[in-house]
Amino acid sequence: MVRLYTKHLNIGYGERIIVKDLSIGIPDRKITAIIGANGCGKSTLLKAITRIHKYESGAVILDGKNIANENTKALARKMAILPQTPESVSGLTVAELVSYGRFPYQKGFGPLTKRDYEMIEWALQVTRTSEFKDQSVDALSGGQRQRVWIAMALAQDTDIIFLDEPTTYLDMAHQLEILELLEKLNVQQGRTIVMVLHDLNQAARFADYIIALKTGQIVKAGSSEEVMTRDVLKEVYQIDAEIGRDPRTNKPMLMTYNLLKGVTI
Amino acid sequence: MIQADLVTKQRLTFISLLVLIVLTVATGLGLGDASLSYQRLLPTFFGQGTFQEEFILFSIRLPRIIITLLAGMALALSGSILQGITRNELADPGIIGINSGAGVAVAIFFLYFPIEVGPFLYLLPISAFIGSLLTTSLIYIFSYKRSSGFAPIRLVLTGFGFSMALSGVMIVLISSSERQKVDFIAKWLAGTIWGTDWPFIWAILPWLIVLLPFTLYKAQRLNLLSLNEPVAIGLGLAIEKERMMLLLSAVALAASAVSVTGGISFIGLMAPHIAKALVGPRHQLFLPIAVLIGSWLLLLADTIGRNIASPDGMPAGIVVSFIGAPYFIYLLLKK
Repeated sequence: MVRLYTKHLNIGYGERIIVKDLSIGIPDRKITAIIGANGCGKSTLLKAITRIHKYESGAVILDGKNIANENTKALARKMAILPQTPESVSGLTVAELVSYGRFPYQKGFGPLTKRDYEMIEWALQVTRTSEFKDQSVDALSGGQRQRVWIAMALAQDTDIIFLDEPTTYLDMAHQLEILELLEKLNVQQGRTIVMVLHDLNQAARFADYIIALKTGQIVKAGSSEEVMTRDVLKEVYQIDAEIGRDPRTNKPMLMTYNLLKGVTI
Repeated sequence: MIQADLVTKQRLTFISLLVLIVLTVATGLGLGDASLSYQRLLPTFFGQGTFQEEFILFSIRLPRIIITLLAGMALALSGSILQGITRNELADPGIIGINSGAGVAVAIFFLYFPIEVGPFLYLLPISAFIGSLLTTSLIYIFSYKRSSGFAPIRLVLTGFGFSMALSGVMIVLISSSERQKVDFIAKWLAGTIWGTDWPFIWAILPWLIVLLPFTLYKAQRLNLLSLNEPVAIGLGLAIEKERMMLLLSAVALAASAVSVTGGISFIGLMAPHIAKALVGPRHQLFLPIAVLIGSWLLLLADTIGRNIASPDGMPAGIVVSFIGAPYFIYLLLKK
């Protein structure tokens, strides 16, 4: 089933068109990864779907309605977005930032309800950030801060969560920690996760559905088996890839690669 | 979800500022060319004074002090809003062309619409108000792009350009007019509290009564706007609409103040900044503090200004600049 899809989407910055005529469905209750070379339009696509960037033409449809015509606060109760590395938040505590995730539910002067407090508590717990909830966000390490931002998106209590490169700037252990958290949310609570990832092996390991983009167009969209092939990677990244199997998860895995001869990137 | 000790700190700061303002008002009431001794203040206030004492208190000093307090509040609130929506700590009503727009309107009105003194006095604030509103609308239109919408940084740059251009217009206007008339305009530009009669209170008070609660109501939205744009959109904030409404409020507040006090800058820059340093960046907490700091600063500046130089005193705007300009440089250096 597909609740969310794009229809002939054209996205650009000024004159420059980044994504051309893109129509794709996001599988419900699955983890979707968007991959592609630098500048291929992955983040742009994510921003357009989440109404952060205005697109030129086409439509993004959620539950049968064009999101451009929907109430933005109502949309925020259906989908949450964690943008790429948000900047510092000058002096806010962790719990305060997470409480901002309840904004779509607040009315009037915005006092928090019992339900709000429960959701904030839950979001802090699953992201294991409760222990420093009274600390300033700026004082945390990169990995901790990323978990706090994810907690804020979780407090929004949405069926769909978008993340733009959630593992960037984190070390290997913290990267895995974030991805396992997202996997848990998907498996245990059936939340739809859509994320832009740079690491192909992480995409292959965690995503049920991979969308491979090149210059704003889809090269291949499907399971990791379908996307992690020599031909697709050659097309997407201009590399000569050696694909094997992850001995632990049995998912396809990029073992090693060379640049294609005679190609300038 | 604000920590309790922060709220306590804010309450204490609020009360301290109130006390400071009351003390400054009391001091200011007893200072001036005409004598009204401190011992006679309270009796006069409660109707026990002579005709002369009552005149000084109720017709000269009190209205001026109240207008100064209100104007300081409006400027501080306006600056707080602007810093929030532009995510720029150096934003001030001056940068979105309030002062220069109002200045040009006052100059044109003063030079080319010679009418009687009576109605003139009350039409001047209106023309200043319209002038700043027009200027800000133009700046908004010029900084809006269809493809990417409204970018705060473009607003700041366009606003700066407009201020420069309008200053040029002012010079052209002034240099070709009579000396006597230039004097008034020059005083206006320097920020002399010139509207010192009770009716002028009505040029500011209604705006504050409506827009102060409105801004406090929007405090959480301002928090989100000053946080990060994509995050604010993701949380369901209609940022274009909110920004537009808040910008209009900021313009109305600053324009109403400037129309009575003349071109006063730096209050809108300093007050929110000091308030944030005292109680942190949450709008719910720092807005009331900023408003009080703004009114106190302007009152202090005017009290000093009108007693420092005889016979006319020094414009409050210039006294404010003595404190404001170094503060601005300090902020720049700190960045």
